[in-house]
Amino acid sequence: MDALLGDFVLTVLVFLPAAGSLLVLLTPEARPRVAISVALAVATVEMLLSFTLWHRFDPKTPAFQFLESSEWIPALGISYTVGVDGLSLVLLLLTTVLTPVALLFSVTHVTRSARGFAVAFLMLETGVIGTLAALDLALFYVFWEVMLIPMYFIIGIWGGARRIYAAMKFFLFTMAGSLLMFVAILYLAARHRAVTGVWSFLLTDLYGSSPGGGTEMVLFLAFALAFAIKVPVFPLHTWLPDAHTEAPTAGSIILAGVLLKLGVYGYLRFGIPLFPEAARAAAPWLGVLGVIGVVYGAMVAFAQKDMKRLVAYSSVSHLGLVVIGIGAFTTTALSGAILQMVNHGLSTGALFLLVGVLYERRHTREIGAYGGIAGVVPVTTALFLVATLSSIGLPGLNGFVGEFLILLGTWTSAHRWWAVAAATGVILSAVYMLSLVQRVFWNPLENEENRKIPDIRASELVGAAVLVALMLWIGVHPNPLLERIRPSVETVRGFLEKAPAQAASAREARP
Amino acid sequence: MRTESFLQFSAQDLASIAPELVLAAAGSLLVLLEAFAPRTRRWFAALSLAAVGLSVAFLCAAPRGTTFGGRLDTSDLSVLVGIFLGASAIVALLVAKPYLARAGEERGEFYALLIWGHLGVSLMTRGLDLLVVFIGLETLSLAFYVLAAIFRTMPASSEAGLKYFLTGAFGSAFTVYGIVFLFGKSGSSRIDALTALGPVADPVVLLALLLLIVGFGFKISLAPFHAWAPDVYQGMPTPAVAYLSVAPKGASVIVLYRVLTAVFQEGLPDRLQGGIAALAILSMSLGNVIALAQRDIKRLLAYSGIAHMGYVVIALVVFGRDALAAVIVYFFAYLVSNAGAFAAVAALYRDETRPHPVGLLAGEGRRAPFAAGVLALCLFSLAGIPATAGFMGKFFVFKAAVDQGFYALAIIGVVNSLVSIGYYLKVVYMLYMREPVEDQGPPPLALSDRLALGLCAVGILLLGVFPAPLWDAARQAAGALIPFAP
Repeated sequence: MDALLGDFVLTVLVFLPAAGSLLVLLTPEARPRVAISVALAVATVEMLLSFTLWHRFDPKTPAFQFLESSEWIPALGISYTVGVDGLSLVLLLLTTVLTPVALLFSVTHVTRSARGFAVAFLMLETGVIGTLAALDLALFYVFWEVMLIPMYFIIGIWGGARRIYAAMKFFLFTMAGSLLMFVAILYLAARHRAVTGVWSFLLTDLYGSSPGGGTEMVLFLAFALAFAIKVPVFPLHTWLPDAHTEAPTAGSIILAGVLLKLGVYGYLRFGIPLFPEAARAAAPWLGVLGVIGVVYGAMVAFAQKDMKRLVAYSSVSHLGLVVIGIGAFTTTALSGAILQMVNHGLSTGALFLLVGVLYERRHTREIGAYGGIAGVVPVTTALFLVATLSSIGLPGLNGFVGEFLILLGTWTSAHRWWAVAAATGVILSAVYMLSLVQRVFWNPLENEENRKIPDIRASELVGAAVLVALMLWIGVHPNPLLERIRPSVETVRGFLEKAPAQAASAREARP
Repeated sequence: MRTESFLQFSAQDLASIAPELVLAAAGSLLVLLEAFAPRTRRWFAALSLAAVGLSVAFLCAAPRGTTFGGRLDTSDLSVLVGIFLGASAIVALLVAKPYLARAGEERGEFYALLIWGHLGVSLMTRGLDLLVVFIGLETLSLAFYVLAAIFRTMPASSEAGLKYFLTGAFGSAFTVYGIVFLFGKSGSSRIDALTALGPVADPVVLLALLLLIVGFGFKISLAPFHAWAPDVYQGMPTPAVAYLSVAPKGASVIVLYRVLTAVFQEGLPDRLQGGIAALAILSMSLGNVIALAQRDIKRLLAYSGIAHMGYVVIALVVFGRDALAAVIVYFFAYLVSNAGAFAAVAALYRDETRPHPVGLLAGEGRRAPFAAGVLALCLFSLAGIPATAGFMGKFFVFKAAVDQGFYALAIIGVVNSLVSIGYYLKVVYMLYMREPVEDQGPPPLALSDRLALGLCAVGILLLGVFPAPLWDAARQAAGALIPFAP
């Protein structure tokens, strides 16, 4: 297969889902399962293809790999340039794994306008992979925005009762952030032209072209706002609970599992390298917002009566931890933060999936409506428990590795007290997650309706089992991931440590 | 200096004006056929399309340069803009046939007036003499005053005709007043004679230019000269709106660019720049905010158009070759998205004589997937979502603004884009996230409707993904007017 794809493996990965959506359109309207099965097949091929990327990836170099570059709008130096490093590689794989899992769940559960659903899902995957692979700022922006439309439809058409409000809020929040980033991108390119005489939107060309001082801070804030809304960093998180709760299960899996990470990804790929000086100055604030997010998210999660909303708020808390790791800037904390993004994708993906399993049977997400169903649905219970334990960072599962690295890295950084606050977040997460498990699965079985809940079905089980297996694998053997992440972390740290004037030397990575 | 007269012209002159002659002849033929051979009606649309196509072909084939003693232009700019105008007319004509058939109004006058209006617009963009421009403008206006009121039995249509006539006449008066002042100062009505008035223009010239901006501001529905647009769009046949809301606006902006670059080669004086920037900001903000409150899709698109002219006028403030090229790209993008949106509206509403509330579109995403899908795509393009033509239009305009240091305008522009998403999404929400309210679905989609919608959709995606060829062509065309960079 490698020989067949040659050097175009990334392009194929980016556009295969979009091409697959054309295939979906050929399926008969009246057979919803066929449409989603076709999409599932496309997403599975995509996943297998992305595994070849994992094997061919050279973990020793920090440079971008599988580079492809061709002209797009030559008059403005805009190019189609794609490439991945360790950071984008792991998130890319997370996406290609979660998408088929989400689609597999949907085969039996999405019956209304299934073709549209399958098309939206595949377009979303193209958007996400494109965002992760793009190394040209204009190209990145295009993919970044393209992701919005399918997600808007997924929430708005197939979502819950308040889906319209949630979809609109999701769209407007995300768009609000990215439009200012758009102006900042234009400014960077125009400045590059003013200095060098040629237009370029290439990331590696724009390294070091930030003007420094107050202007750099303004540009940085324009980028940071877009990414902070996506993560979301407290206090910009209010769209998240609505969007996650109202989205259909598959949508929540991708939203929480992948889309949130793109905010952090953008910050690491663009925010820090383009504006190292400003990023350094902003780091303490970022850390403080992360701390607030951890504690606030955990407390609000504890107060939720709706399972999905609880998991949604737990994302605010967990992403806060990631933000702390990035604010701390140590190699360990950054590695932990990136690993934790993958972990959170797996555990929250699994949690949303299993909540979806229960919802499809009882048509309620209210925690109080359940209780004592561990004996009724033993397999679901077991899987839910593993995902919970992963989410709260039990040693032996993936969550522990990420959280431990973040705490360790933060403790050794200049901001020791953040680690203390972050550690309370870890404890709080145990409180709300275990109380959720207790209230849903253990407590006495009082509601008669709960006796008849059928256990998890094979199509649902496969997806959840894959995620649980990955949690175990990363939990006991995180090194393959960490060694791929490490060079990217060093690169990011390199940008921060060098004075802005020297950042230009990072152009070696130029394709 | 040889004496010039409009009545002496050579074969070259004649060849260069062939595009307009074809249109004039076709329009006359249509009126005659309507009167003497009404049974040929079903060929009217095809005949009109052929005339427009032939006219564009003649324009492309015409030798570059100026004719009629330097009064008619055949530069790359005129040709590219001519293609834009022709494409607008083709979309409008394709939609017109099934639309008029449904309304029971398929008559030669409609096609003839549309084609004559198109002739006027074409003359406007090619005129290098303010009188030629004015004649073109009036030809356009007269044709569309009648088109607005063509549904004689429908009160809204008569209202539209009268309103458009009154405000249009008012706007024309401003234009002609400005032309008179310029003529008085330069001693000639030719645009190239204006060069002597710059670069430091005296107050009278500034006043004249201001009058021209106001006059054309009416034509492009720039706030605060926009009040006619919603009412006129509402009462005018939708295919005619598809043309009126796109082509004359593009032509007017090109004329303004011609005049302003003739006077000021190096950039606008501060006062004028500030004034135009204020109009741009007002138009964007007012259009977008008022559009949020609209319930009728045609009025909503009218206010969206007012806002879009604000974005275009940013490029007038920025001034220069790249900005002019951005205007051209913007108008091509606006053509496929806005004319496409009106085409979809024409295809989705069953009863032409009633208002077009957005609520009636509920559930059409499933009942009329193609037309609704194209409408949604057009709206996303108007909102400036990437991978659509509309994004590229905004991209080039904002890029020109940022490049020349107009950061505030770019930021106000993107904030306005955000506001606009509110009402575009409202329509998308109706299409896809609501159950149908009317038992009777949209009318069956005619082949020519499909063709028009398909062309617009392909145009939106093609321009959105591969904008480079158009940008290069636009930059080259802009070079015909502004040879120096940027």
